[in-house]
Amino acid sequence: MYAEIAIAPERVRESVAELAATAQALGAYAGEKQVRYLFLRPQGVLCATVDAGVGALPSMANEMPLYDWHEREMREKQGIAFDGHPDTRRLYIGDGPVPEAMTAQGEGVNVVVVGPVHAGIIEPGRFTFSTGGETTIHLDTQFSYGHRDIERALSGRNALEIAPSIARICGGCSIARSWSYALALESLGGIECDEATEYARVVLAELERLYNHVFDLANAASGAGYGRGLTMGLGLKERILQLCAAATQHRLMFDAIVPGGVRTGVLSDPQALRADLHAVRRDVERFAKELFENRSVVRRFAGAGLLDGRTARLFGACGPAGRASGVELDVRTFCAYGAYAGLDVRIANEKGGDVLARCSVKRREIAESFRLIDASLAVLGDSSIQDPQTVECGTGRTTTALEGSRGVETLSIDVSGDGTIERLHVISASYRNWPAAARAMEGNIIPDFPLVNKSFNLCYSCMDR
Amino acid sequence: MSRIYERSLAIRHLVCGSCNGCEHEMNALAGPAYDITQHGWDLVASPRHADVVTVTGPMTEAMRDAAAATLAATPNPRVVVSVGDCAIGVGPWCGVGSAGDGAGPELGARVSVRGCPPSPDEIVRGLREAARLLDDV
Repeated sequence: MYAEIAIAPERVRESVAELAATAQALGAYAGEKQVRYLFLRPQGVLCATVDAGVGALPSMANEMPLYDWHEREMREKQGIAFDGHPDTRRLYIGDGPVPEAMTAQGEGVNVVVVGPVHAGIIEPGRFTFSTGGETTIHLDTQFSYGHRDIERALSGRNALEIAPSIARICGGCSIARSWSYALALESLGGIECDEATEYARVVLAELERLYNHVFDLANAASGAGYGRGLTMGLGLKERILQLCAAATQHRLMFDAIVPGGVRTGVLSDPQALRADLHAVRRDVERFAKELFENRSVVRRFAGAGLLDGRTARLFGACGPAGRASGVELDVRTFCAYGAYAGLDVRIANEKGGDVLARCSVKRREIAESFRLIDASLAVLGDSSIQDPQTVECGTGRTTTALEGSRGVETLSIDVSGDGTIERLHVISASYRNWPAAARAMEGNIIPDFPLVNKSFNLCYSCMDR
Repeated sequence: MSRIYERSLAIRHLVCGSCNGCEHEMNALAGPAYDITQHGWDLVASPRHADVVTVTGPMTEAMRDAAAATLAATPNPRVVVSVGDCAIGVGPWCGVGSAGDGAGPELGARVSVRGCPPSPDEIVRGLREAARLLDDV
């Protein structure tokens, strides 16, 4: 259950530090003259509100870099001042000048700038590498090239009408976001879904994890110069997308989860999907086995892009990126939602913190996703799933957190009496992980950036919004 | 009529505020199921090497200069292809917030591929249309 507490402005630092020590810090966002620090506990999301109407609040970014971007965003978007924030640059470029990159200084330092347009088919971002010789000393990232000001634009709209927009904030985590939005509206509206719908949602969420993780392994293989791995992985991703299309009439499953349930017609033939997945599963396992038995690939993976556990925690890394560095958090078990409580999810944790550890986590999660889908489809049997319930827009504020393929997907809404969105805020897993991913490049040579980057494989669209 | 471009097309991709859905489908072109190298086509790393620029997204404020620079770096003859509803100007983010009304119209696109996102097969059809336009020059 979502809960709120108020904390005094003069005790923000102590209160936030205390809460972060006992719960998982999710970040912070601002409403009308109010800053809301979000935490996840086994019983649900806790929102600690602070009055920001009178003056500046102390910055938490020095002790907890997790809050770095959150505070910069609130400073720019809601005009809230944070005393002592280490970075005065703008986070969002808009139509203004692109902020200067932060670079290392000293004799022999070379600066290499890449982007915002990249050589591959990837979203825009500017990467500024400070290097000594070939080794990266510091990587500065500048994003927001995809910023559409979505949160402001969707405010004032009807909460139910914008569900398709929510599904399209980011193509690669559409299901996770649709589900978190549905959970938020269903909790405000006081409705619960039936068991079959809950299992259907697990199937869709795990299909999304599957195609993303298989794609990530393919890209990591490519980053290691293993073309056969890329080709095999892309072929398998395609087969999974075709199953997604068969299950939801859309390859990326847009709008398959709607407030009140799953869209009519989704998973109309659970047992056909089960049989098809069985064949794909065998080939994905063969692909993963081949990848991890290739000694030259594993040698490239090992030690590259090291993210130590302390840095991962301080920067708020989550999902596979966190779990590969010893941050043992998976919302599916930590604060189980939907049908996950009955599925006994086995969490993949590693300690290495390198590309190998991240890929190992994803390999294990792929196996677990297949198991969860199979178990859920077994529960569904041959029964058809009921049409979505009618959701009455409730009034109030809530935040949901769930486990997307890249980590914790957090979504906050504030709905007024007539069903109008007053405030919408998304903290995507990519937003959480990018600062940590940049740190993981330190000590690596620039040619290894694609490998390190793809081992995280973060989105830009849900981060830029 | 020659069919040089239809059998040898260099494609450069440019993202202008898309949701990454179109990029998932563009990436599929390099995989074994669609494998555009069978047509003699290639996704190239520089606009200097490109005959076709595929664009996605509604266009964002921050990408406007970089997109123009990318197009300016692409030699003539060239064809811009709008990939997906946002690039065409009819997608979910067109005119929303600070987003523009489609990267394609802004960059002079002559080919449109509908879809949210379009399937890889539809993108291939759009690329073939672009190649024919180049061959007819």
